[in-house]
Amino acid sequence: MQSISYVIKDPIGIHARPAGSLIKELGAFSSKVTIKRGADSCDGKKLLALMKLKVKQGETVVVEADGADEEATVKAAEAFLTKNL
Amino acid sequence: MSATAEAQGSFWGSVFGVLQRIGRSFMLPVALLPVAGLLLGLGGSFTNGDFISAYHLERILGDGTALHAVLTVMTNAGAVIFDNLPLLFAMGIALGMAKKEKEVATLAATVGYLVMHASTAAMVSIEKMSVTAAAVANGNVGAYVGDDDNFNVVLFDAAGKVLREIFHAGQVGDVCGMTTLQSGVFGGIVVGLGVAWLHNRYFRAELPRALSFFGGSRFVPIITTIVYVAVGIAMFYVWPILQNGLAAAGNGMHGLGDFGTLIFGIVKRALIPFGLHHVWYTPFWYTELGGVYGPVADPANHVLQADGLISDIAGGQRAFFAQLAHMGASDFKHFSPDATQYFSGEFIFMMFGFPGAALAMYHCAKPQNKVLAGGLLLSAALTSFFTGITEPFEFSFLFVAPFLFIVHVVLGGLAYMLAHIFGVAVGLTFSGGFIDLLLFGILPGNDKTSWIWIPILGVIYFFVYYAVFRYFINKFNFKTPGREDGDGEVKLFSKADYQAAKGGAAGAASASAGDPLSAAITAGLGGKANIRDVDCCATRLRVTVNDGGKVADKDTLRKTTGASGVITSGNAVQIIFGPRVTIVKSNLEEYLESPAADNPVTATLAAVETQAAEKKNLTSAIAITSPLEGELIPLSEVPDEGFAGENMGKGAAIVPSKGVIKAPFDGTVAMVFDTLHAINLVSDDGVEVLIHVGIDTVKLRGKGFSPKVKDDDKITKGQVLMEFDIPTITNAGYSLATPVVITNSDAYGSITASPKGKVTFGDKILDIK
Repeated sequence: MQSISYVIKDPIGIHARPAGSLIKELGAFSSKVTIKRGADSCDGKKLLALMKLKVKQGETVVVEADGADEEATVKAAEAFLTKNL
Repeated sequence: MSATAEAQGSFWGSVFGVLQRIGRSFMLPVALLPVAGLLLGLGGSFTNGDFISAYHLERILGDGTALHAVLTVMTNAGAVIFDNLPLLFAMGIALGMAKKEKEVATLAATVGYLVMHASTAAMVSIEKMSVTAAAVANGNVGAYVGDDDNFNVVLFDAAGKVLREIFHAGQVGDVCGMTTLQSGVFGGIVVGLGVAWLHNRYFRAELPRALSFFGGSRFVPIITTIVYVAVGIAMFYVWPILQNGLAAAGNGMHGLGDFGTLIFGIVKRALIPFGLHHVWYTPFWYTELGGVYGPVADPANHVLQADGLISDIAGGQRAFFAQLAHMGASDFKHFSPDATQYFSGEFIFMMFGFPGAALAMYHCAKPQNKVLAGGLLLSAALTSFFTGITEPFEFSFLFVAPFLFIVHVVLGGLAYMLAHIFGVAVGLTFSGGFIDLLLFGILPGNDKTSWIWIPILGVIYFFVYYAVFRYFINKFNFKTPGREDGDGEVKLFSKADYQAAKGGAAGAASASAGDPLSAAITAGLGGKANIRDVDCCATRLRVTVNDGGKVADKDTLRKTTGASGVITSGNAVQIIFGPRVTIVKSNLEEYLESPAADNPVTATLAAVETQAAEKKNLTSAIAITSPLEGELIPLSEVPDEGFAGENMGKGAAIVPSKGVIKAPFDGTVAMVFDTLHAINLVSDDGVEVLIHVGIDTVKLRGKGFSPKVKDDDKITKGQVLMEFDIPTITNAGYSLATPVVITNSDAYGSITASPKGKVTFGDKILDIK
């Protein structure tokens, strides 16, 4: 399993559009993905679940991937988060 | 049939996919050639002085007559297409290879082509001037050999001795009025592939706000210009090296003489099943690989005007048509058989060999099947004879008797060689059927084309094919058409058969408005959602699917669609229909746009009935009704990439006329955004819906939105969920377009939006299956 953590810098947090793009990005990988914010977590391939987390600016999210392409998955997640959020 | 065709490896699958796309990209410009050839062929033949005097037609067709004027215009109109083929290839390839916004890529390719040649032309001109100046300064002499458009620069010393050739023979010529290096169709391909790559990379480029007008697809021609200035300059240094290398390779093939022709022919025929023959023959027809012909390249055999070539031309087919354009010259002698060695032989087996083989198959058919088999074989043989389109015929036996195909590949290859040996020089635009033989062999005259050898060799070929096919079919009991076991269902697709089969299968002809063939194709390819891209070449429907695993097996697909053959490789699928494929394709595209496409299974044969909705096992469709009053628009028209690109899922959008959202179904509020501008709902059936009021309205930070529900509230259809203030949104400069998307779209087979138009609460906007 691989994981990365990231502090959200976007003032609005993970809102609908970036959430959709992130899910789309992660959906391309075969690994199982979990996104955690503190004690809450969600399936990293389910858009509604991610939106329900309501991640805000300054909060830390951890992206965990488990599977054949786990390394590529977390790298992609990190790149996306850094660029967009 | 072979390892390649069945290769599922993603590497070979993707190589095959790319080659397939390049191959079909050639088809758009190539499809123009028969018309261009017709103009040039008729114009060239009937303005030919020998032809006119031989038939004493001076008063009707001679110089100065109205008909002569018309025919001269026709000749020029046809010739300009052949002359500018590199540009058409650049555009066609960019068009075919671009993933989206193809029209932008096409425009950019035109820009790239012109810019590249303009830059090269500038370099040529600079070189010419500086060399000449230096020569004069040193007491030497620079001189041009040739005319303004087609020159080579040679440096002499004062005594007239050649010091150096600055531009090699035939390297420089006219392209769209520019005196530049002759990069030919290769140059066009370089532009087409490069621009397609740039386009796919940058058509969504985001630029800083101040420059945003130049962003997105507008950026593509801009970056193309910059890149192709550099490419044009680079071409000036690199191209002459490549040019010489290619010409040497082509001449090497010539060096192999007739054996080289044989190899070329065998490879071309053998590639047909894979649809890769376009990639193989194109360079021989259009580039240096097919040899360079003309006064500079081949002075030994060149007597001015005798072969019609005023300047050097690269590529077999291009050389033929350049000759054709000048055929009227009084001292024109004979077309070059070296130039036509890559196609003249095709007439022999396409017009004669195949009909012989078809007759053999007919004679070998079971008596009760003769009528049906005869119909299939006759139509395939006639198609081959008249148009030179051979795939319907080749695929009638390729899969059932691969051995016969191998025999045919060898015989076909031999035909190219025989034509070359006998000096046949008949041109063709596209393929070797009677129409082309008439225009480019018979009309120009036997003294110029030696076409008479085609029927002579053809009659022999007819009997050879007949004997070989008949012998092997009987010996190995090949199941060619009409010899199938059992009831012997001949592989012939007729509407009556199809209807009968359909009636017997499910009787569920729910899609009476739909068209059964498109339904069968859609179902066989794993449903509409699995079809990523549909295209076609002369005879094949070329489809890219999202998941090759969902495609029905080849035999099933072939039978249910009545196709001549099916080839799959990874996510690339080719279904061979013959020349009617363009109609099949446009019907399919129309069908895929229609609601019937969402559930093709019911309208299809039992054989593919197993493709039923997986995943959610929906027994019936779910309709999502409008939560808003306003104008329904497709999601793709939402001014936001994320929504338009279906990042959030499939759906539709509504431009509201009233600031009220009502529940579209019974269910639960999954969440209301903290910024209040969007709301997530889950229906009791499990459909997840995101309603996002306006675009970028997250920036309003809740201003103007007043939700009437909170997270986890139960809702009933029609209940007011939120009110919002339309002027607040529009005055802040945001788009009102409100996407209504299914966030768990992946769980469903298909999601179709209702047509654009006014909707009110409760009107159906989405159909989920």
